[in-house]
Amino acid sequence: MTRRPWRAVRSTTPRGDPGWRLPPQPGEVIDRSRSFTFSWNGRPCSAYEGDTIASALAASGVRVFSRSFKYHRPRGLLTASFHDPGCMVQVGDEPNVRGAHRRAEPGMRVSAQDAWPSLALDVKAANALVRRAIPAGFYYKTVIRPQRLWPAYERVLERFAHGGVVPDSPEYDVSDRFDQRHAHPDVLVAGGGPAGIAAALSASRAGARVMLVEEEADLGGHLRWGGAEQLARLVELRRQVADSDVEVLLDACVLGRYDDNLVSVVHRGLPGIDERLVKARVGTLVVAAGLIERPYVFAGNDVPGVMLSTAVRRLVNVYAVRPGARAVVLTANDEGDAAADDLRRVGVEVVHVEDARSGGDIVRVHGRSRVRGVDLADRRTVACDLVVTATGWTAPVSLLTMAGDRPGYDDAAARFVPGRTSDVVPTGGLVGDGTLDELLAHGAAVGEAAAAGPDHDEREATGAALRPRPHPALFRGRTHGIVDFSEDVSSHDLVAAVDEGYRDVELVKRYTTATMGPAQGKLELVNTVAIVAEATGRSIAQTGTTTWRPPYAPVTLGALAGRPREPRRLSPMHGWHVAHGATPLVAGAWIRPDHYGDPGGEASAVRSSVGIIDVTPIGKLDLHGPDVARLLNLVYVNRWSKLPVGRVRYGVMCAEDGVVLDDGVTGRLGEDHYLMTTTSSGAATVWEWIEGWLQTEHPDWRVHVTPVTTAYASINLAGPRSRDLLSRLVQDIDLAAEAFPYLHVRTGTVAGVEDCVVWRIGFTGELSFEVHVPAGYGLHVWEQLVEQGQDLGVRAFGVEAQRILRLEKGHLIVGQDTDGLTTAEEAALGGLVRVDKQDAVGLPELVVASRQSPRSRLVALVTDDPDLVPAEGGQIVGADGRICGRITSSRLSPTLERSVCLGQLDSALARPGHRVTLRLVDGSTAGAKVAERLAQIDPDGVRLRG
Amino acid sequence: MADAASAASRHSLPLARSPIATVSPERVCDGWVVSGCVSTAALTITDLTPLTKVLVRAPVDGEVAAMLGVGHGRAVPARLPTAGSDGDDAGGLDVLVVGSGPGEWTVLTQPGRAGDVIARLDGVCAASPGTVTLVDLTHGRALVRLAGDRAVDVLAKECAVDLSPLRCPDGTALRTVVSGVVADVVRRDREPGHDPLAGPEFVVHVERSSGQYLFDCLCDAGAEFGIEVQGFDGLWGSAGMTAAPPPTVG
Repeated sequence: MTRRPWRAVRSTTPRGDPGWRLPPQPGEVIDRSRSFTFSWNGRPCSAYEGDTIASALAASGVRVFSRSFKYHRPRGLLTASFHDPGCMVQVGDEPNVRGAHRRAEPGMRVSAQDAWPSLALDVKAANALVRRAIPAGFYYKTVIRPQRLWPAYERVLERFAHGGVVPDSPEYDVSDRFDQRHAHPDVLVAGGGPAGIAAALSASRAGARVMLVEEEADLGGHLRWGGAEQLARLVELRRQVADSDVEVLLDACVLGRYDDNLVSVVHRGLPGIDERLVKARVGTLVVAAGLIERPYVFAGNDVPGVMLSTAVRRLVNVYAVRPGARAVVLTANDEGDAAADDLRRVGVEVVHVEDARSGGDIVRVHGRSRVRGVDLADRRTVACDLVVTATGWTAPVSLLTMAGDRPGYDDAAARFVPGRTSDVVPTGGLVGDGTLDELLAHGAAVGEAAAAGPDHDEREATGAALRPRPHPALFRGRTHGIVDFSEDVSSHDLVAAVDEGYRDVELVKRYTTATMGPAQGKLELVNTVAIVAEATGRSIAQTGTTTWRPPYAPVTLGALAGRPREPRRLSPMHGWHVAHGATPLVAGAWIRPDHYGDPGGEASAVRSSVGIIDVTPIGKLDLHGPDVARLLNLVYVNRWSKLPVGRVRYGVMCAEDGVVLDDGVTGRLGEDHYLMTTTSSGAATVWEWIEGWLQTEHPDWRVHVTPVTTAYASINLAGPRSRDLLSRLVQDIDLAAEAFPYLHVRTGTVAGVEDCVVWRIGFTGELSFEVHVPAGYGLHVWEQLVEQGQDLGVRAFGVEAQRILRLEKGHLIVGQDTDGLTTAEEAALGGLVRVDKQDAVGLPELVVASRQSPRSRLVALVTDDPDLVPAEGGQIVGADGRICGRITSSRLSPTLERSVCLGQLDSALARPGHRVTLRLVDGSTAGAKVAERLAQIDPDGVRLRG
Repeated sequence: MADAASAASRHSLPLARSPIATVSPERVCDGWVVSGCVSTAALTITDLTPLTKVLVRAPVDGEVAAMLGVGHGRAVPARLPTAGSDGDDAGGLDVLVVGSGPGEWTVLTQPGRAGDVIARLDGVCAASPGTVTLVDLTHGRALVRLAGDRAVDVLAKECAVDLSPLRCPDGTALRTVVSGVVADVVRRDREPGHDPLAGPEFVVHVERSSGQYLFDCLCDAGAEFGIEVQGFDGLWGSAGMTAAPPPTVG
């Protein structure tokens, strides 16, 4: 029977030990005068202010914080830092919180993620029993066929998706918990260790605006867990930062670097805001990311109690937590030695130190939910509850590679080292090793050069060089273990992938998902590369690395989305519409009244009496200058040379290809003064279009274009009593038909408001007047119209009623009844085109089109079934089943008591009386015939001229 | 026109309204309904929409440009002379001339003076060669003033442009995007020394229909800095005109 000495190790606090919380340590960040409790899986846990969730739990004896991604193996602390993959937790409604980084707060509700029924007894751990059946990439092979079962596979796989939960409730709204800001520092330093601090201070002293970003809650990097001298130096550095103009962002992480040094930073810990995305446009980005300690790969390397040396030093010195009672240390560097010293100093029994520099190694860790013992290279087994590894460093070159750098592999130092870029420069441990003074000197030199601007060559200016010290190449020991702790990928999986033919490291990554988890390669990339290199018989340099892309660390979607900023445009009468029950219609940025509850009734009121509609969004351009008529002749297809003052004309604009661009009316207010209207959606396009022609083709034309869309509130009065109503509010304009005929424009006073523009135009086919009122008085005039028209039965109508009315009248809407290919001829506007004009936009195409039969033509259709309203976009098919057109607009007409439709139909079929077949949404068909004319009501225009 | 004679008596005297909802108490100022509240906060937002706004378009380097005395990208206080005077009259009108684009200026002054501004400018413009256009945009734009040391920080949340004094010193005018809307931004700091409200000030200028949206966005962005609404107090703020009168144009 094998002797099992690890069974002798106690799994609770050793007898006589005061507990897992150490007595006060020189560098501790906890405030022992302020203690509180929070809950962990429903049970209370005490903490000091300054504790992270993980340090407080560790001080309470908790060793298992999570279950692993795939096999649900118990996981504990590995790095005890921002990047620790083993303690992602749920905090209240916030999932995937980094437990070893987030500060504990009173009353916090913390729970383990994705473990059921409990962290201690997780049934999904059964995955480990079928491990052989679910190797890396198994789902590429096993859940492919039969394809019809994929939805079922998907549901099963969903249940195994790792991560926390967000409340599944419509009331759950976190939009006000995120925001963003812009920043423009001359120098941004990523990393608040000694080199980063030195760089920030020297850049600031050189006059630069400096932003210093640190992912932890305090500046200092590795000095925070250093000895007395290092702590003293840190105090001094922090004092200098506090006295400087450097803007310090703590609990903030640089996510990515994009073109022109746009640097994204996610900043936490702000009052009232969970996360803020800082978009910094940076002169020079200084990367002082330090070094990240690399885990060692061996059997049992993920058992809770196996930690990196830096994790031990953080726990002991920063949080005053005893990481274990009986430790074995595998060390290949000074940090490992220092960790052993720290442990001894605080009374942890260091039962064995295995020195990797002289060939020492550890083979296997025993235990499941905590370490019970370790097999050493000399076949001895040592009982312990803590295994510390210090086997080397990963240089986090991510931000440098995002700027185009190609780091090289340094065999002697067993790590990657930066290449060179111009506006992104590294300093500190990333560049090389050195004493504190050497790190500070390098940082200061880099900072000073960075302040001088991106073109300055910092390396020539840097007298203080840093070079990586030689280090044993330690990646995987003599057994297989976990490589990617986030994704549960083992070295065995990587070797198996290579055996299956995935020899390229990029393919191995995608096949096994190694480096694709939350750690994003920072812990596992170099080990992955080394193991693939070993399996393929190549060197690490030959194998190369996978690509580092933004984000450097996982980011919430909330931070990327930020505060919702969706511009909303409102007319001066918007409040009235809301107060009167209008259903809003979102039309681009505009919020318009679609109807007030009864669009059919509103349309009927217009036909029988008078209605008023808010048409403020209609585009309006003030045109001034002696060459306006030339401009109008250019951009409209019809003729504009002889429009008298006080007259209005309908115009159609086409693009160079003869396709209808926009339409509207333009009135001449004075000798050199015109007011153009456009469609509501086309207002900005037409302004840009006209300015484009003026500025690029005719800069000599004397025309000034001023957009005045919202300078006027626009109200259309439509219906046989519209003149009666308007006359009650107008003093200085003769509204009589003969004095103010159709398609004329006047300026005057309406309801006491001066400088109004009154048009005899309309879209409904009724007698109508359109009043453009200086917008500040829009509500006043609207309310006056409502009040003064009570006895006339005036009724506000919305966009829906207007659509019914215009369809009855056969007026087209550009963009609805036309598309990106519809020419003027096809839109039944060919009669307006003056092909004998000297010049106009699209004229050559229009001339050619006028000689040919158009492809299709806009027609009105009358359905056999008067109640049938075919869906807009529905197909029109010929006798042979071929598609020969489509319905572009359709509504039920309350006036005609039947449906009215417009459609685009093959021109050969677009003859009055021709019968067509409509294919309906449900697949059935219905008959219709082409109407005589587009207008179904008042085709001769008697009413509108009344 | 039968009812025309009695039409005036039927409707009430028109009052103009800003697109931005007022904060009580309401009061009436020069025919506009405005917020009457007073704030002593270090960071305030004020709806200045009632201000007269006249757009001037003229050749970039012509006489009008010379008369207005400021080019694209700058804003300066000035005094418009009475129409027909030689420029040394007591009835000069204090305005802020904003060089808002190449060959484009926005003249801002107290409410209800659009006709006056146009009349004063017309005389000069008529005599100058080249096409000159004067458009009253009082009702076409919403105007918001942010005042206080943290005003830059508020705008940094809503605008990607560097508005620090280094890149955007006092008197800068620029056209950019604020909260996703095209906006003219004018920085007009108050002189320290003789003004209790001395400090950075930004006037943000958008087309009218986006006014409430912009105001809401800036209030939201300013909440963490304790922003408060200050009632309408004119172009120059409650402290009145700057101590030194601006130069007379022309």
